This record gives sequence, structure tokens and C-alpha cells, in this order.
Amino acid sequence: MMFKDIRDYQIVFLSLFLILGIGTRDWTLRPELILIAIATSLTTQLILSLVISHWSLVTSTEINHKQTIFNFRSPLITALGLSLLLRADHWTTMVLAATTAIGSKFIFQSDNKHFFNPANFGIISALALTPDAWVSPGQWGEEWWYCLLFVGTGGMILKKVGRWDTTAAFLGTYSLLEAVRNIWLGWTWDVYFHRLMSGSLLLFALFMVTDPRSIPNATFGRIIWAVCIAFTTFILRNYFYLSTAVFWALFALAPLTILIDSLWFYPRFAWMQIENS
Amino acid sequence: MKKLRLFIPLLIVLFTVLSFAPTALAFCGFYVAKADTKLYNKASQVIIARDENKTVLTMANDFQGEVKDFAMVVPVPTVISEEDVRVAKPNIVERLDAFSAPRLVEYFDEDPCSPMEKLRSIPAPMAATRGTMENESSFADRSLGVTVEAKFNVGEYDILVLSAKESNGLETWLNRNGYKMPRGANQLLKPYIRSSMKFFVAKVNLDKFEKSGYQFLRPLQISYESPKFMLPIRLGMINSTSEQDLIVYILSPQGQAEVTNYRTVKVPSNVNIPVFVKNEFGDFYKSMFQNSYTKEDKKVAFLEYAWDMGSCDPCSAQPLNSEELKEAGVFWLDNFGDGNNRIRPGFGRPFIANNVYITRLHVRYTRNKFPEDLMFQTTSNRESFQGRYVLQHPFTGELECSAGRKYRQSLFQRFEKEAQTLAQLTNWNIQNIRQKMEITTEQFQSSWWESFLMLFGF
Repeated sequence: MMFKDIRDYQIVFLSLFLILGIGTRDWTLRPELILIAIATSLTTQLILSLVISHWSLVTSTEINHKQTIFNFRSPLITALGLSLLLRADHWTTMVLAATTAIGSKFIFQSDNKHFFNPANFGIISALALTPDAWVSPGQWGEEWWYCLLFVGTGGMILKKVGRWDTTAAFLGTYSLLEAVRNIWLGWTWDVYFHRLMSGSLLLFALFMVTDPRSIPNATFGRIIWAVCIAFTTFILRNYFYLSTAVFWALFALAPLTILIDSLWFYPRFAWMQIENS
Repeated sequence: MKKLRLFIPLLIVLFTVLSFAPTALAFCGFYVAKADTKLYNKASQVIIARDENKTVLTMANDFQGEVKDFAMVVPVPTVISEEDVRVAKPNIVERLDAFSAPRLVEYFDEDPCSPMEKLRSIPAPMAATRGTMENESSFADRSLGVTVEAKFNVGEYDILVLSAKESNGLETWLNRNGYKMPRGANQLLKPYIRSSMKFFVAKVNLDKFEKSGYQFLRPLQISYESPKFMLPIRLGMINSTSEQDLIVYILSPQGQAEVTNYRTVKVPSNVNIPVFVKNEFGDFYKSMFQNSYTKEDKKVAFLEYAWDMGSCDPCSAQPLNSEELKEAGVFWLDNFGDGNNRIRPGFGRPFIANNVYITRLHVRYTRNKFPEDLMFQTTSNRESFQGRYVLQHPFTGELECSAGRKYRQSLFQRFEKEAQTLAQLTNWNIQNIRQKMEITTEQFQSSWWESFLMLFGF
């Protein structure tokens, strides 16, 4: 059933942003790269799921029916995320990004939970391993209605998922740090708002940093985690002049999830949990 | 599983189709005119040649007042020493401007009655002093917190590189030393001081200027190494309320450059416009730019040109030779031997790339729409782009065949479309455009006899 799973809303919203992006932002968004990202993500997920389920059939006597069901939502969300944020000159780069993104879920696991955000992993591997990938942070502009759109739709999802605390902690810390810097430098406040109104920052804060499958389980742990990411982002952006600071910060701190989870025990997030309760 | 089985071949088909999708665009036509920066009264021009953290910045002065009043204060990321400053040849900016300016091209329709009926496009040819030293060591004016990091002169310029502890002191220092700083300058100097930036200060040495024999101020070129890839525009807006034009030429070995804290938008391009625009291309481009600028709510940077500098198509000026590229600040030319070609390493299809790529950005800015300084990044995007406007001349000879009659009928629609495109791009009155084009319906209507013949395919 459509819209029973919260991820369906996410798929719809991300698709909507893509359509709006192509329609109104005249970017360098290339439809064929979007299709490649989707096709590669789904194929990788399918192949790796088949391998894993085959492996578990061989190694265990119990047949796990759940694992044989093909999960198309997660790779689709990853592909849409990649399409929104990553730009590439050549299609092989998008294939690499999508394959590593999905692959990271299967490889970097701890206690049956993957700790890298797949789309973020894909973006970082494309930036680090290929010469022709980039992120265009300026291309979302700073129109207020985009902000509202992100906040509104993102908020809806977060409320349903129950992970609004992560976004609040990330954006709160980051905007506070930027405000202190702005006062110290003596810039006028329009400079501050212009820096914060970046569409890609909000997109990251609402859709990437909140993925419940790759972030700490306990609320307190998540807040500490998000604050650390905000600090790292702030330093990378203002002292190392990295325009892709948020993605590097999340990538570097993703393994912290395991540590935080072991310190603050909390039941693992499951997409079906909300439905069951 | 049945659904899955169907799904897999579908994916394979999709993948194959996409892998062979063509991406290249063809540009051609005869080059007629260009819309260069002379169209604008107050256009500052800057060339930034950058590879990794090394930057060579060339600033062309559009100063129109008395030379003795000229003074320039530019925040720079590091201390600039005498070896890092030179005076560039005055025409280097003009060369880049001419090479990258938005262009007008024209095509001529062929005789539709001749055996070669199809419109053929003929591709345009492809083409691929330093002054005396004043060895004064740095000294500090402690009471004002200003340190003179370097003092020297280059060509007709007297240069100072200052670092400061606080903005009031810097403002007082500059005023005391004969630099007229506008009111409110200290508020704007503070953020740069706090971000540990230095100030590159230039004044004209009148004796040397007269001796040099130049009538205009030559561009100043400075080089530095810093991860900051930005252009301070705030200082330039202190006492200006009107819109200012800035043309930035970014030269990189990689690919297209873009602004990271504002949107970068392509100027409308590749459209057919009426033939009469040939005589008023400058006016057309100015109106079109203003119209696009207003439509984008005055807060975007416009991409006017992005091209590998080894070639141009059609060429509005010959590509710069390696001497000229070096003059423009390109410092990596020698790194790759004679061919200037290299194969890109890493993942993806290797391809040959010329190692100077030009991006021309046109920013029209005001204080309220551009609060932050411009931050840039170069990307690996090697897609070519040019502001290109097409005139398509109709065939004017006799049209005594069925194809000819069809062609004549199609012209009316074509002219009308050109008129509408022009009106839409420039916001000009469509009636005036139609009048100028002399579109009248009678001219293109066939007689009843011709229509009758066409029914039978004659």
C-alpha cells in the first residue's frame, strides 16, 4: 500500500524537489544521470540482497522471509538524494556514487545497522575517487518559499519518524556558531541570513542528517552527534573554505554512531515500528 | 518474483539507451558581432587564473576621473610581496573580453528550389616592467594598529600592503596618508581585518605615469596562495546606490567555475531573432540582460561563456596564444609540455583535455541583493556554453517551385516567432518589432492558383 510507509512521503517530496529543480532552477541537472542513479541504486540493492539472502539460506537453517522481499524504497531515496546534490561530468561517476552508496549499507554494518548515510557515502566517494564530481551548493538559491517548502515537508516527515531533534540540534548549533562569528566579524545581519538561507544546507539538515537507520538510536546520543556535526561543518566551512563541508562532516562522524549506541542503549529503529505501535 | 523478472530486462534496456545518449551541442554560423563590455559604463573587469590554491588576480581599472585621485584598497588573503605584483598589458582584458563576449551569428537560407534543398549550415572556421625598488622594511604605526607589511612601486603604481588590528585605526591611517575613504568604510573594513585579511593599497605615481606615456591605467596583477577563492565586492558598494556590473573571467585547468553562495544562471542563448537586430546588437543584448536580471530577482550571477580555450565556434576573436594566456595570469601552461594536453587520471573515460578553460561570469549587483562577497568554485563541468544569437536570412531569389512556395508560406510563421522571441527576451514592444521587420501578411500569402498547384504537389 502506498503511503503506509513513511519513506513513500520522502520519495514523493524528493521527487517533487527534483521536478521543481529542473523546472524552475535551470541547473545543470541532467535527466539521464538521474535515471542512471535510480537504475544503478536499484540494481545494486537487488544484487546485494540476493547475495545476502542466498548466504543466509546457506548458513542458517531458518528461512527468513523478510529478507527475500526486495526493498526498493531505500535505494530510491538514496538515488533521489544523489541526483539532488551530486553533479558529475560523466555517467560512470554517477554509477560509482550509486554503487558505493548502496554497497556501504551492506558492508559498513554494526549490530545489523549501517552507520554511513548511503547518499552521503556515495557523494563522498564520488568527490574523493573521481576527478569529475562536484556539488553545487549555490544552485538552490535562497528564496523564502523554498525554505518554507523544505521546512514544511521535512517537518512532516520528521514528525512522523520522530527524528526532529537531530535537525533541531544540527541547525540550532550551526546557526548559533555562525551568529557568533557574524557578531565577531562585524558583518551586518543580512550576511548572516544569506549564509543560513542556503537551500542545500536545509536539504541536508532535513533529509540527510535525519536518516533513522544510520544515526544514533537514543535521543541524547543523537543530539550530541548532531552538535558534533554542526561544529565540524562550521570549522570546515569557515577555516578550510570547503563548500562541501556538511557532507565531509557527516562522513567523518558517521562511525561515531556505533560508539554513541554502545554508550546509550536504545532499541534500534525499524520502519515498521510506528505502524505496529 | 514474476514482476522482478520483467524489471531486470527493463533496467538493462534503460541503461543501454542512456549510455549512448549524445550530449554534445553543435555551434556554428557566421560570426557577425559581439556584445563586449564597452556596452556598460561602470563595468569592472577581473581575471582570476586559479589552479588548486594558487591564484593570479588581474584587476582592470575602469577609473574615469583624474588619475591623481585614483586609489584602490582591495582586501587580499595573504601578504603580497613585490615579486607577486606586476602590471599587465592593457589589452589583455580586452582580448579575453573579445574572445568570450556574447555573439551574433548569421545563416543564409539556401534556394529551396535548388537540388540541395536541405538547409545546410556551413561551419565557421575552427580555431583552435617593473619599477624601481624602495627597500623599506616593514614598520608599524603602533598607535593605530596598522602595519605596513610591504611598500614598493610597480610601473606607474605606488603599492602598500597593510595589515591592521582594528578598523578605526586603518581608516584613520588611510585618511592621514591621503587615501580618501568614504564614510562608513570602517564598518566594512572590520570583517576583513577580523578574518586576518591584508589590504592591498594602490595609488598612481604621477611622475611615473607621465613618463610611461600611457593614457589609461594599466591592469594590476597580483598572485597569492590561499584556499580562499573569493572576490570582495562589499567595499565597492559603500557609497554606491546604483547597480554595478562586474565581469569575472575565471581561467582554470579543470572546467567551469560557478558561484557557491549565489545561483549561477546561464544567459538566454541559442535563439533565432529578427535580422534587423544586426544593426542594434548592443542595444538588444543590454535590454535582454536587464530583462533576465529583473526576472531572476536581481540576485544571481550570469554565465555568459564557458569554453575550452583551445578553440571557439564561432570565433568572435582568435583564441589567445600561450604568450597571451601567460599575460592573463595562466601559470600552469608549462607543466604539461608542448601539447598542453593531458589525460585525466582516475575513474571514468579518459579523454584529452586542453588545460585552460574559461568561464565568463557577469554579475550585476546592488547592496540589498548581494549582501555577501562572492565565493567561487571550479567544477569538472566541461560543457561548452556561449551567449549566441542567431540571424537567419531568408532566401530572396525567385521561388518558382512547389518547395519554394511552401518555403515562402513558412516564412511568415518563422518571422512571427522571431518577433515574439525578441519581445519576450527584451521586453520590447512587439508592435514596434513587427513594424521594423516589415511583416505583412500579404507578402507571404500564396495566390489561389499557387495554392491549387500545391495541392497537386507542384
